Amino acid sequence: MNIVACVKQVPDTEAQIKVKPDGSGIDEGGIKWVMNPYDEFGVEEALKMKEKFGGDVTIVCVGPARAMETIRTALAMGADKGIHISDPALENADAYTTASALAAAIKGVPYDVILCGQRAIDDDSGQVGSVLAELLGIPQVTVVTKVDVDGQKVKVVRPIEGAQLVIESALPAVITATKGLNEPRYASLPGIMKAKKKPVDVKDAAALGVSADAKAKVGKFIPPPARPPGKIICADDTPEGKAAEVAKLLREEAKVI
Amino acid sequence: MEHIPFSVGNEGRQVFWNAEHFELWLFLFTFVALGIFAYGIYRRWQMWAAMGKPEIRWDDTKERLKLLLRDGFLQIKTFKDPYPGIMHGLIFFGFVVLIFGAAFDATEFHITEPFGIAFLRGWFYLIFSFTMDLFGLAVLLGVLMALHRRYITRPDRLAYRGESDSTADDAIALLLLLGIIVTGFVIESLRIHVTQPSWEVWSFAGYALSKAFVGVPAETAKAMHAWTWWIHTFIVLGFIAYIPYSRLLHMITVPANHFMQNRKPVGTIEPIRDFENAESFGVGQLDEFTWKQIFDADACTKCGRCQDGCPAYLTGKPLSPKKLVQDLKTYWLEKAPAAVMAKKLADEPAKWPYLGKKWPILNTIDFIIDFLLAKTKGMPTGAPAEKALVGEAIELHELWACTNCMYCMENCSASIEHVPKIIAMRQYKVLTEADFAPELQLTYRNMENNSNPWGVGSHLRGDWAKDLGVKTLAEDPNVEYLFYVGCSGSFDDRGKKVSVAFAKILKEAGVSFGILGAEESCCGDSAMRGGNEYLYQTLAQANIEVMNGYGVKKIITTCPHGYNALKKDYPHFGGNYEIYHHTEILADLIAKGKISLKKSMDGVFTYHDSCFLGRYNNIYTQPRTILGAVPGMKLVEMERNLAKSFCCGAGGARMWMEEEGQRINNTRAAQAIEVKADVIAVGCPFCLTMMSDGIKDNKKDEEMKSLDIAEIVWKSMDLEEEPEPVEVCAAPAE
Ligand SMILES: Cc1cc2nc3c(=O)[nH]c(=O)nc-3n(C[C@H](O)[C@H](O)[C@H](O)COP(=O)(O)OP(=O)(O)OC[C@H]3O[C@@H](n4cnc5c(N)ncnc54)[C@H](O)[C@@H]3O)c2cc1C
Ligand code: SF4
Ligand code: SF4
Repeated sequence: MNIVACVKQVPDTEAQIKVKPDGSGIDEGGIKWVMNPYDEFGVEEALKMKEKFGGDVTIVCVGPARAMETIRTALAMGADKGIHISDPALENADAYTTASALAAAIKGVPYDVILCGQRAIDDDSGQVGSVLAELLGIPQVTVVTKVDVDGQKVKVVRPIEGAQLVIESALPAVITATKGLNEPRYASLPGIMKAKKKPVDVKDAAALGVSADAKAKVGKFIPPPARPPGKIICADDTPEGKAAEVAKLLREEAKVI
Repeated sequence: MEHIPFSVGNEGRQVFWNAEHFELWLFLFTFVALGIFAYGIYRRWQMWAAMGKPEIRWDDTKERLKLLLRDGFLQIKTFKDPYPGIMHGLIFFGFVVLIFGAAFDATEFHITEPFGIAFLRGWFYLIFSFTMDLFGLAVLLGVLMALHRRYITRPDRLAYRGESDSTADDAIALLLLLGIIVTGFVIESLRIHVTQPSWEVWSFAGYALSKAFVGVPAETAKAMHAWTWWIHTFIVLGFIAYIPYSRLLHMITVPANHFMQNRKPVGTIEPIRDFENAESFGVGQLDEFTWKQIFDADACTKCGRCQDGCPAYLTGKPLSPKKLVQDLKTYWLEKAPAAVMAKKLADEPAKWPYLGKKWPILNTIDFIIDFLLAKTKGMPTGAPAEKALVGEAIELHELWACTNCMYCMENCSASIEHVPKIIAMRQYKVLTEADFAPELQLTYRNMENNSNPWGVGSHLRGDWAKDLGVKTLAEDPNVEYLFYVGCSGSFDDRGKKVSVAFAKILKEAGVSFGILGAEESCCGDSAMRGGNEYLYQTLAQANIEVMNGYGVKKIITTCPHGYNALKKDYPHFGGNYEIYHHTEILADLIAKGKISLKKSMDGVFTYHDSCFLGRYNNIYTQPRTILGAVPGMKLVEMERNLAKSFCCGAGGARMWMEEEGQRINNTRAAQAIEVKADVIAVGCPFCLTMMSDGIKDNKKDEEMKSLDIAEIVWKSMDLEEEPEPVEVCAAPAE
């Protein structure tokens, strides 16, 4: 069973994000880059499938040179090889362009399952997995917390408001992972060392034959307004009194109820 | 042999009295006993040599001989505990004197007397016999104390969770000792009874006992004497032969272990040097320890001193340092014979391994003995144990319960080194297997991504100092001291207050200092002690690069963990600085009159020793001196203090892990409550957190608090209005 896991390199959740003065993007200075946390679930699930059914895990990533580090992280966890789609032209790629690049790369490797994160924590658009499935013409099951592969079928659990959907799909399919699917492993040191020697194919858009033209373009980055200081509420010491005060403030000050 | 007759003025006694004809037999049996003894040592030697990586522990022999004298002969470590110390001292020094006495006897009888020189005569004999009786009684008393302790008072230290770990071996060893002394006195008293020399009142014990035989005819007494003589002889020879096969072997292994004890600074961990090529890290198999680490386990006497103050054990965790070492020993005993065999096969690949060309006779004996002792613990043969070292022989709960508090090593009477073994096995779990607690994985990821265990954005590191006018080295590198703030001091709300207080004191005292701000990294102590040597080295190197870049020479830390890592472990990677803990600096500033403590601090204070300050770095007095200089301070000591202090529970990466059952910090806080302290003074941010939480959990947070020494000093300097506590629940504005 061959598995592909798509990983994106994103700023650490704690990183201080500063928008460039001209609003053309973010200032990357001092940012610690990490693997998109949802993609860690994807990689972990891919490794679990490999442990169970054998086969290869291929990591595919669209990103600048620094993204290689994230591919190595996935390889250190236990993936076998990587494809790094690195092209300055893809710097402002939208979800569709990214997905087409991924699709083009993935077409070149045998796969039974493709794992993505449910969304990337930087742009938060949550589309790549879905577009990728469309482009490859295979089914997609998104935002899943449990995966059971059984022969040529997969059964997944997708939490929805107040319930869970159990969805069955034919393979190959794209599965997008969310929190709860598993606990991503900590890479062992021999794993980290071996990862340095695992093969990673570096390709550009031309080699994959994809157009780098984004369909959606970001007009401008605008930092969110500074948050006003919080408020500690304690009209009186009883829960009822506090609740009444909260209700009052929500209505009169925040005007949300 | 002809003697000049003994008389008043030429006092003495006849050696081999009533046993003249036994001499030849005695030699024969002695020869056999020594043979059994020597064979046992030879087998053990093979087992010591069969496993483990090389390690040299005999450099600088002169210094090591001093350590042997101090800990082996003078028994300084043993005497730290009065009852067992005196008990063991009586037996040990008693026997030293008795053996010297016997050697005197033998020298005179076999060497000098044939030349007509007899020195055990006259007043020298009288003092000699008096001394021998005195020390014989000392041994007797020591053995009785030991029997009483082991079988009647039964302290928990001689057990594990109430289950005694005494074996037949313990009883046999003590009974042999008892037998030697009792029969010795009986022989002496029977001789006195028969020969009746007037001067033998000097052999006061034997003399007194001889009164018990009044009325026994001389012939009967002589027959009794001959029998007892043989019994005594056999017990003595049995004792000698028994040594290598029993706990008595500690007479050899423990002094050897004192001689080979660690001479590097306390708590130093040898860095892993090759990350690139090794397949396995730390210790996952017995053979990955050094031979000395294994030898350690064989030297353990089960005395339980280590267990007595182990915070993990005392709060009900499965870990006991004694049990850990004993389990390691048992495991080694199971594995060693096969390793010996493998080594022999490798040395001389003969078809019949036992009858190799090199030592055919010894190998044959080995074979016969192995065969006979196939099932005896100590020398089994056959297939080695299948169970894993880490996870089975040593359970993971034990391995991870250790706070690295160093109580066990500080107090072990056999110089056994528990902590490096624990860290080595953790390294295996973390680095090789990457199989360890999820909460610790999170901590490590945080340290990797943001260089602090909480995972707060690393750019916020210097924010605590924003309003204080403290400069970073980037702004001004020409300062005397770098204040290395550490993670707690930078990110933890409580820790930040300590940093602020200390920085204010330094400014007030005119000390030239700066901080690294966002350029500072985590010191890595928790990573290293939690087995993540790789991460630790990454962090250490980041710090060293920055510090060396600024040409830093002197560093002050408010955290003993950073203090210890920077001081002892950074030199491994080219970070050589003078490191000071803030209590050292504060004590100095007070002594030099650079700061004055004016404001009286009321209430009862108790100082909680941080393990990494006290046991690791011997800083016990400075914090107490500082507190002593605070006006109005009433300082009391908790029962467990100084080198026997009780850990707060946060060391050894335990700060970041879930704790099962009774919490160590609550236990420590309760000890402070016991001495009616109002304030627990600390010199460590981990201790500060742990004690604050412990006070809360003991429901004493209304009347008690925990303060860092720097906070106490700053308050007492009385330069700042104490800010009114913010009234969180003031009436809301209408
Ligand atoms: C306003 C809004 C409302 C939404 N409402 C809902 C809703 O009601 N219900 C619901 O279920 N969902 C909802 N979503 C989520 C959304 O529909 C999907 O989650 C989304 O399609 C995933 O795309 P993404 O771009 O955020 O993530 P992407 O950035 O598309 O990333 C998703 C995954 O694709 C892969 N990937 C992305 N970029 C790369 C790269 N450069 N290299 C390699 N791999 C890559 C990674 O595996 C990544 O985790 C909403 C999203 C938004 C923005
Ligand atoms: S270092 Fe402390 S916690 Fe660890 S085994 Fe020794 S005494 Fe127990
Ligand atoms: S390790 Fe040391 S202190 Fe502990 S039982 Fe063994 S000899 Fe005693």
